[in-house]
Amino acid sequence: METTGDSWIGARVLRKEDERHLLGAGQFVGDVRMPGLRDIAFVRSPMAHAKLKGVTKPEGHEASVFTYEDLGPMKVLRTSPDMPTFHSAHYPALATDRVRFAGQPIAMCLASNRARAEDIADLVQVDLEELPAVVDVVDAMKPGTIKLHEDWPDNAYIHNTIDAGDMEAVAKIAAIKVKRRFKMNRQPSVSLECHAVLAYWDFRTGQLVVYFSTQGPHVMRIGIAEALGLQEYQVRVIAPDVGGGFGGKNRLMPEELAVAALAYKLKTPVRWLEDRREHLIASPHARDHYYELTAYADKDGMLLGVDGDVYVDAGAYPMWPTAAFMETSMSARNLPGPYQARNLRARTFTVATNKAPMGPYRGVGRPGACFAIERLMDEIAHELGIEPVELRRRNLVSSFPYETIGGMKLDTGDYHASLNAAADLIDLPAIRARQAKGELDGRRIGLGFAMYTEQSGHGTGEWVKRRGRIIPGYETATTRMGADGTVELLVGIQSHGQGMETTFAQIAAHELGLDPSKINVRHGDTSISPFGFGTFGSRSIVMGGGAAARSSRTLGEKLKKIGAHLLQCAAEETHLKDGQVHGPNGSVSIAEVARAANVRPDLLPQGIDPVLDVTMTYEPKESAGVFSYSTHGALIAVDPDTGAVELLDYVVAEDCGTMINPLVCDGQVQGGVAQGIGTALYEEIPFDDQGQPLATTFADYLMPGSMEIPNIRLAHIVTPALATEYGVKGMGEGGAIAPPAAIANALTDAFKDIRASFDETPLTPRRVIRALDAAKARVQTGEKP
Amino acid sequence: MITVTLTVNGQEETHSIEARETLADFLRERCNLTGTHLGCEHGACGACTVTINGLPARSCLTLAVMCEDRAVQTVEGTRGDPEMDLIRKHFHEAHGLQCGYCTPGMLLAARDILRRHKAPGEATIRKELSGHLCRCTGYVGIVEAIRRAGAELSDKS
Repeated sequence: METTGDSWIGARVLRKEDERHLLGAGQFVGDVRMPGLRDIAFVRSPMAHAKLKGVTKPEGHEASVFTYEDLGPMKVLRTSPDMPTFHSAHYPALATDRVRFAGQPIAMCLASNRARAEDIADLVQVDLEELPAVVDVVDAMKPGTIKLHEDWPDNAYIHNTIDAGDMEAVAKIAAIKVKRRFKMNRQPSVSLECHAVLAYWDFRTGQLVVYFSTQGPHVMRIGIAEALGLQEYQVRVIAPDVGGGFGGKNRLMPEELAVAALAYKLKTPVRWLEDRREHLIASPHARDHYYELTAYADKDGMLLGVDGDVYVDAGAYPMWPTAAFMETSMSARNLPGPYQARNLRARTFTVATNKAPMGPYRGVGRPGACFAIERLMDEIAHELGIEPVELRRRNLVSSFPYETIGGMKLDTGDYHASLNAAADLIDLPAIRARQAKGELDGRRIGLGFAMYTEQSGHGTGEWVKRRGRIIPGYETATTRMGADGTVELLVGIQSHGQGMETTFAQIAAHELGLDPSKINVRHGDTSISPFGFGTFGSRSIVMGGGAAARSSRTLGEKLKKIGAHLLQCAAEETHLKDGQVHGPNGSVSIAEVARAANVRPDLLPQGIDPVLDVTMTYEPKESAGVFSYSTHGALIAVDPDTGAVELLDYVVAEDCGTMINPLVCDGQVQGGVAQGIGTALYEEIPFDDQGQPLATTFADYLMPGSMEIPNIRLAHIVTPALATEYGVKGMGEGGAIAPPAAIANALTDAFKDIRASFDETPLTPRRVIRALDAAKARVQTGEKP
Repeated sequence: MITVTLTVNGQEETHSIEARETLADFLRERCNLTGTHLGCEHGACGACTVTINGLPARSCLTLAVMCEDRAVQTVEGTRGDPEMDLIRKHFHEAHGLQCGYCTPGMLLAARDILRRHKAPGEATIRKELSGHLCRCTGYVGIVEAIRRAGAELSDKS
């Protein structure tokens, strides 16, 4: 293992979690074996919107088919936000009297294997009376449209208006006015392991044990216990290896609750392994933003303000614990991006339609917001004939802290350094020279940049503002040292690819003067780890890492006290390094100290309790969060006849403060960018006008593969945060935020001679050609873009 | 029900199964070889890749009854294989995995690529890997791992 100096912070430590996966010995939910285990298949609604008039169980299979009534009484879980202006609804474990999207679970069938369960599901008769489907987010808000939820005034979960500054004044004086409509279409998160849950009643412990492919086992336990009317101690949730989450596994799906309820009812082991079709149709969907915006700038290209409407299609139901309302507010608040504009006005609509409910997905509201503002910045640049990089230079926030007009408190950074580093890495002058020469194959070359800030590790104050019923304002860690001086670090977060079994071990190693091999990080089991909120919102390294730092540091102080006693010196004179407590005149091994603390209380100094076991919580000093940021640069070649886009190069110049492990950070950025490229160019679930999803397999839902993703090149800038342990900032989501904007800007750059505007993702060949045709028609009529 | 016998990782496995049972389900549910992962069950993602008589195949699209008398190898069967251990080492060092779900299929694909191409470059690896989806890594670490493994294998031969 490579280290920097004597610290494990910043060391490129290879991952502890690799070995089991490389041996095919990981344990995902589907790998758990249980005697008598039976499989579940769901009967799902074939219609997007209908009255459910009855379910007929097939003859001979009555005991294997379950409806909502069969599952026993369930309490309705109340979702966030907790505000009177937010309209909520019950998303039942199985549909009761109405179905509101194609794919909504209606009944569940149980058999010795999944194929036989599906056979039974095929025989179940569902009596539906079809209702008109609400599919378009703007139409949904028009008067007279059928309401999804009859007790709501209209189809909005919530509408809101942000009005900061003086937009009327800006509109009067602005030299440049750019108006655009942007659309980022709907997709699920597409973890390679689909959702999965296996539950059984453990008679020995009196617990419902739920193996659950989730990002937040402790929070899921709260929901399951409450819904089933169990004491929390009667529910144990275990998230074993989780094959990717990206936000989509941070909500309690009705299927998951239904499986837990069935296991509790039957007291036999049952499982549901979501298949890919179910994942695409009915797992939490994301993105689906629509914007009508006007940007105002002065004659030098200084952005003055952004004004307009933000629509988010949040689907049919609110999910627990938090409905999709944050999409719109985050999007609107992020519209000013990293720029100094002082006016922002946005009317926001979070709308219910007959589509799968929305959940979080890497980046949440920000990919849409970034797409909107970064496209507008390039349009301003093209309007003025300024190099887009130069336009950004003029507008970037340059002194910190800075509160944007959207209320984001940008803490530290050097945004210009990031922009310059990205322009250098991709070699801006060489590309401009290449473009001037033209391409032999007739394709056009385009270069696009996009920047964003990523709020991470936000604490109690921020979540209270968002009116959550569950406030994920802190994290918890237990550092426990055994008699041999090795450590179990138990944490409330959950790691599902982020390498936290390694990075958290580095943190404890750093605090305790131990090698990371002496530290075993355990997470993802409510019976093992202390309470925590799980992994989402780029929070784990700030919150969980901070908790691990605190609990380990506190344990280290105790080691020093005992070591000082054994060394006959003062605790203040000691320090921990290389597995030893060092004093002025000698040292004693940490293993020796641990032995004394655990099994030789006779050796302990007076007033020191035995046992080395410290649990601490942590919340950063600044609850508004710390902000990572980066600049993405995309170089594309596009065929003007076919609309096919090829990515020739992709660079990221990012700053996430202090990196605990640069290897892991690089992997997070590259993986995020690949997902962002998927959003930009390939991934979409379209719907027909009856609300039927039109992408239900990987044959029609296009996932980017190794040919679609280029070698993603990185530059790092390190500006430590002031409010966190070690100066870390969260960074897990960032990679996915900017690619749609950067790639659309590259296309716009490639065709800036005709001012073609690329405003809807994914930018399929068809959409590229449509944008080119529209631009050519404008050129002919002399219409302004 | 049909009784089928095949060799899995060198051991004979005989089970009475329905004709529709896929090789993936046979391996996972009958043989308890859970290293073979299912990511799509329609042959698109490659996570379920195994070898049948030495050639890579999608176990989700292969019926177990089609494998009568054939030799199937799963990722578990590659433990201790020097060529595969070298590939594993490079996946570890180049950060070629995050959540680990696609990894077994990637490893078997990597070995197949390196058997057919001596020290392949990035472009060859990307083309050859195009039938395998990874949602976490952006492929950068995977491609680099296979490149390094190819270079080392070629040095050794």
